[in-house]
Amino acid sequence: MKTIVKSRLAELLQTMAQDFRVLVPVKSEAISQFVPWQEGLTVNLEGNTVLPPKDIFFPQTEKMYKFKVKGSSVDIEEFAEDVQKQVIFGIRSCDMQSIDCLDKVFLTKGYEDQFYKTKREKTLLVALSCTKPQDTCFCESMGLNPQEAPGADVQGYDLGDALGFVAKTPEGEELLAKYGSLFTEVNAVPQKVEGFNLKADVAGIPEKLAKMFDHPIWGEVSQKCLGCGACAYLCPTCHCFDISGTVKGDQGYKFRCWDCCMFSEYTRMAGGHNPRPSKKERVRNRFLHKLYYFKDRYGQLLCTGCGRCIAKCPVGMDITAIIEKIKEAEV
Amino acid sequence: MSVSTADIKRINPLIPIRGKITKIVQETPDVKTFHITTLDGQKPFTPLPGQLAMFSIPQVGEAMFSITSQGPNHLEMSIKEVGQLTRFLHEVEEGQECGIRGPYGNGFPIDYCRGKDLLFIGGGIGLAPVRSLINYCVENRKDFGKLIVVYGARSYADLVFKEDLFENWPKVENMEVFVTIDRAEEGWNGHVGFVPAYVEELNISPMVTITCGPPIMIKFVLQSLAKMGFNDKDVITTLEMRMKCGIGKCGRCNIGSCYVCLDGPVFTLEQLKLLPPEY
Ligand SMILES: Cc1cc2nc3c(=O)[nH]c(=O)nc-3n(C[C@H](O)[C@H](O)[C@H](O)COP(=O)(O)OP(=O)(O)OC[C@H]3O[C@@H](n4cnc5c(N)ncnc54)[C@H](O)[C@@H]3O)c2cc1C
Ligand code: SF4
Ligand code: SF4
Ligand code: FES
Repeated sequence: MKTIVKSRLAELLQTMAQDFRVLVPVKSEAISQFVPWQEGLTVNLEGNTVLPPKDIFFPQTEKMYKFKVKGSSVDIEEFAEDVQKQVIFGIRSCDMQSIDCLDKVFLTKGYEDQFYKTKREKTLLVALSCTKPQDTCFCESMGLNPQEAPGADVQGYDLGDALGFVAKTPEGEELLAKYGSLFTEVNAVPQKVEGFNLKADVAGIPEKLAKMFDHPIWGEVSQKCLGCGACAYLCPTCHCFDISGTVKGDQGYKFRCWDCCMFSEYTRMAGGHNPRPSKKERVRNRFLHKLYYFKDRYGQLLCTGCGRCIAKCPVGMDITAIIEKIKEAEV
Repeated sequence: MSVSTADIKRINPLIPIRGKITKIVQETPDVKTFHITTLDGQKPFTPLPGQLAMFSIPQVGEAMFSITSQGPNHLEMSIKEVGQLTRFLHEVEEGQECGIRGPYGNGFPIDYCRGKDLLFIGGGIGLAPVRSLINYCVENRKDFGKLIVVYGARSYADLVFKEDLFENWPKVENMEVFVTIDRAEEGWNGHVGFVPAYVEELNISPMVTITCGPPIMIKFVLQSLAKMGFNDKDVITTLEMRMKCGIGKCGRCNIGSCYVCLDGPVFTLEQLKLLPPEY
């Protein structure tokens, strides 16, 4: 295994940053997130980031095209996007799995989302194993291995004082070879993962949910939800967006931004008809989407067990508790 | 430059191409039909009957509309004034430039309809999507059996496509058009009453049926058709959900695991019965 002592991590990142935009997990005050590496930053390898890395491919707001109006004439022009080659360094298994979900949404089913694709194609992924799950983590229950991220180009391991790297794709091989002189070849064994505090048994859940659209549990579980949308914004797999625009004088631009099916406006139509008029329908949609619809459409669950929604919901909505309720519900 | 369906998929499907409104027809007090071309007078793309387009006036808004008809060099959309974008559209003049992207959605199952007798049922602006298939059948008359149209609106003034209803379609071979309005009014000698009741009155034997209209009309039409022995897989309708992307990405228009913008808007009653009733 190629290893480097943690005290030399900055040197590795600094060297990589000459060839790539390198995104690393960094903590500032209460928020941790992936930001472009620059000298002097402290990489935070403790636990997962508070904000998911989805904004790297799917920014919270993203300009789509600009327009200019002159009388009845309308000019439309694309923004020329200069996408750099980039490396995401230190991404966890759960967030790697979420990228797989996002790939399915944005790159399959007939259309490719060009905004997503340009960034995704230029990205190398260096995953980092988890050894100490946080209180709200349950990725193992979702079928993930916290030490082996699906789809990573390089799997990184936390070896205590050092970090170890194993290439998983030809691109990963190339990346490690490029900075080979910084690594020491060592026969290292990754540390064992500590046990999980949270568990969820998802076996049979999608099949059961197929029969639970009208079940009273949606009325119950939705009662305390505030509809604030924090769960969706923090979720690494949530991908709904709105398209909107701004105009100043005779010009403006269209942008897309994250949206959330927990908002009342989300499905409201012209004339005021809303197929999801109350919290009950909206909360139901959120959980059915994650635990049933997405599986039906794309073959996997839209939850990776990262636990962010559990950690940050202001009223303590807990998806593992809801999975439990579904398990126990009579149909 | 005209753009084919394949091009639309290749280029960024979220960015509209530039278009121009070349003709505006006032259908009813609040519905106008817009003819749209590219800036150099070509058809922006060639949709299948029942497909949709995202139409925009970039500084005002963007919304999804069914393409009600097409010619060799233009697309037609019939738009009811209900909100901000549509209000703006109802004020513009011919020559207004716009954005258009598409075609989106699955369209009507033409292959399935081919060779069969077809019953079209429309209410209000709901005749707009159905008309794309009616016109297709009229243009390819030999490929289809008997064509029957049953259409209703609140009043005579609210009937859309009057020229088609009263002049063009009745002249087509083996095609019948039945029009009704909700309440009697001076000068109207035709049928009075709601569409579902009229359909029952006409005592049409079961055939492939394409229905579109306000949700309440659709609901009662479906009941009537069931009573008359129509087969669920021969009852075809279109659904409307709020839409933003049109390509199955933004997540907005889902009904269960299906996205109306991509897997719809056309569904058979047989398919609808498998979806959660969330529309
Ligand atoms: C598959 C499909 C096919 C369609 N085909 C046609 C067609 O052929 N012809 C046609 O006329 N229409 C069609 N529509 C409807 C059309 O897409 C638009 O929904 C409608 O025309 C919107 O008009 P607008 O943009 O002017 O309304 P907007 O200005 O966007 O507003 C419409 C309404 O939305 C509600 N609304 C929006 N935002 C808010 C807010 N912040 N607060 C409160 N209320 C709000 C209000 O009720 C408002 O009146 C179709 C829709 C779909 C999905
Ligand atoms: S974070 Fe909690 S309260 Fe807010 S929308 Fe999500 S479930 Fe509801
Ligand atoms: S639903 Fe919650 S636990 Fe699952 S991936 Fe999203 S934020 Fe993480
Ligand atoms: S309109 Fe975006 S998914 Fe259907």
